[in-house]
Amino acid sequence: MANVSAFAGVDVGSLGTKTVILVDGEIAGYSILRTGINTEENGLHGLETALENAGLKREDLKYIVATGYGRISAPYADKTVTEITCHAKGAHYLHPQTRTIIDMGGQDCKAIRLDEDGNVTDFAMNDKCAAGTGRFLEVMANVFKVSLDELGPLSLRATEVLPVSSTCTVFAESETVSLLARGERPENIIIGIHHAIANRVGGMFSRVGIESDVFFSGGVAKNIGMRKALEDVLKVKIVEPKKDPQLVGAIGAAVIAQNSWKRGR
Amino acid sequence: MSVSGNVFRYPEEIRDDFLQTADIQFRDGSKASPAEVWHYLTEIGPKKYPHIYDYSNYYGRKISGDVTLPFSLKHNYLIMTMDERMTKAKQNGIPVVFVQGGQSVDPYYAAGAIALRPASVGIWASCQHEGLNLNQEEVRRANQKEKAYRAISFEVCQSAGYENIQEGTVPVDMIAPYSCLRCSDVSYGLEAHRHGKRKDVKLFLADYPLDHQKDKEWAITYFAENIRRLIESIDELTGGKTTAEDLRKEIKLHNEGRRLAMEIADLWWSAEVPPTNGKDRRDLFQMGGMELHGDPEASLSLLREAKGYIAERVKKGQKGFGVSDNPVRIFVCGSCVFPNEYRIEEVGGIVVGNDNHWSDITTIVEEDGDPFYNLAKAVLSYPYEQSIKERAKWTVEQIKRSRADGVLFLYNWGCNTQSAVARALVDEIKRESGVPTLIIEHEQQGTQSEQLQNRVNAFVEMLK
Repeated sequence: MANVSAFAGVDVGSLGTKTVILVDGEIAGYSILRTGINTEENGLHGLETALENAGLKREDLKYIVATGYGRISAPYADKTVTEITCHAKGAHYLHPQTRTIIDMGGQDCKAIRLDEDGNVTDFAMNDKCAAGTGRFLEVMANVFKVSLDELGPLSLRATEVLPVSSTCTVFAESETVSLLARGERPENIIIGIHHAIANRVGGMFSRVGIESDVFFSGGVAKNIGMRKALEDVLKVKIVEPKKDPQLVGAIGAAVIAQNSWKRGR
Repeated sequence: MSVSGNVFRYPEEIRDDFLQTADIQFRDGSKASPAEVWHYLTEIGPKKYPHIYDYSNYYGRKISGDVTLPFSLKHNYLIMTMDERMTKAKQNGIPVVFVQGGQSVDPYYAAGAIALRPASVGIWASCQHEGLNLNQEEVRRANQKEKAYRAISFEVCQSAGYENIQEGTVPVDMIAPYSCLRCSDVSYGLEAHRHGKRKDVKLFLADYPLDHQKDKEWAITYFAENIRRLIESIDELTGGKTTAEDLRKEIKLHNEGRRLAMEIADLWWSAEVPPTNGKDRRDLFQMGGMELHGDPEASLSLLREAKGYIAERVKKGQKGFGVSDNPVRIFVCGSCVFPNEYRIEEVGGIVVGNDNHWSDITTIVEEDGDPFYNLAKAVLSYPYEQSIKERAKWTVEQIKRSRADGVLFLYNWGCNTQSAVARALVDEIKRESGVPTLIIEHEQQGTQSEQLQNRVNAFVEMLK
């Protein structure tokens, strides 16, 4: 391809590194990799993989925006932006009617309110607590000896919701072990865990408010059980994402890259 | 010795100009010439306190790079010489009194003592350790924090300071805060002192009436009596007899500091572009509280000199070092903590004000009449100590004067007072000022995490 103007968004999260390449406003390629210990290399590897996926070369990239916790080690980026702003831009790109985002990533979760142009108007994040994060669900998956992907579908097979009172990772794990020892069905405990998280996330929305359309982003958004629990607890309908919700931050970063380049900075 | 690999050095080119600036005048009549200050900052300081010269943006207390502001250099000199100066004062028989943050210190100095707030006691204790790099200093601080948990309470905040007294790290003679409800550390500290070992350290509590205290005659008279007893208590330590005239004189001196800080703030806020970075601004405004250096005369000499430099910069439209073009202006409220100003500037923001110490600095004491009564009336009028409605009204005025675009309310982990009022106060501020707000719980540790910075950065992006 000659004279391609491509823009990249690199979202180096605590668990996953996501990269999206935009060409003419369309997603031309992407990658999702497990984040390793070398932050800079993670981002670069993500970029190379996404470029390969798009059939493009590094020289085709006009502007790169890095986001996520790894953005502070991204010398390859032209600009860094927080993932809060990026999720708003990403959700707005995929679904312009979005006014509220629930973002659940590897190590934090956020409630974000945005206007009709995709600008953030308010936000709240979890604080010093792993509830509602990918890491929390990973620990729980380990208790049930299943993969992370299986947790959601398993919860849909529940016959009743068991109360799981704690959202502290360590205490919730021991509570779960006790429930299993008591002979409770794993699916009923799993749905209970999802409800406990949804309740915790509900607390953040009482601070910023919730308005339709509601978009669910981040790695945890792939979990159908979590999505269902959020709809039940928050009494909202969550929009169907057109793309992998884990990519939303990277999409937003790529959109910002494209806009920044057009504005000449 | 630098952890970040980036060591700050004062550039030789500024030396000659700096040597033309004013001496620092001390309370004991001595002076520090700019030549002495320069020698200290360029020769002694880097060897004694390498961590202070670590020039990484992750280090919120790093030296401001704005080298053509003489007050900034002199402030650093005063901070680095805290141990030497306090040791000298103690040798001259001057008692040191541990007081509360956000309160004025006029009566303590009137009675011939030095009044230090928790953060200043922490600086004094830190200055006793030489040759530490930034990591070693952070480890020292973390260990100190653990001691504070043991000595005071698990919920104590990062600036506690009392642990240094309990352990005898710093030779404080008396603990005598005002009992206003601004800080839960006061109650923890007093309780710890009751069951602690240091019975030789005198205790005095200036009992602060609450509930529309400034509008009640009995409350003012009652607190005036507390100030009188406080001064008598210090007199017992010095063997002196403080008169009403001594207090009146002291009030005038502190009023000059408070007025200068307010005039400087008006200049700073009136400027099209911020004339200093956030760190220099915070230090400068806070000098008006006359406590920061453990020497009101020294703070005053810096303020007197600084005003001209700020006026000059405002006139020329000169921007402070490290400040971006058209930065997002943030007013910080809440506990006695602040975000890392350098990292806010990195992402295009600037902190233009804080409510905490500013509350007592903006409260001028009437100079005619009974000084005990006047001081009591002023102290009971601190806007920060009023009802949520009144505090919010005053805060909104500061937000408007500083032309802030957003308000960040930071409360310390374990700060039972500020966390309790955060939501109601911020809602009121938002309603009255219309500016966006964000409440963040500050870390329990001195070093700020990326999580906290992430929220602050997102807030700056939201305001852009």
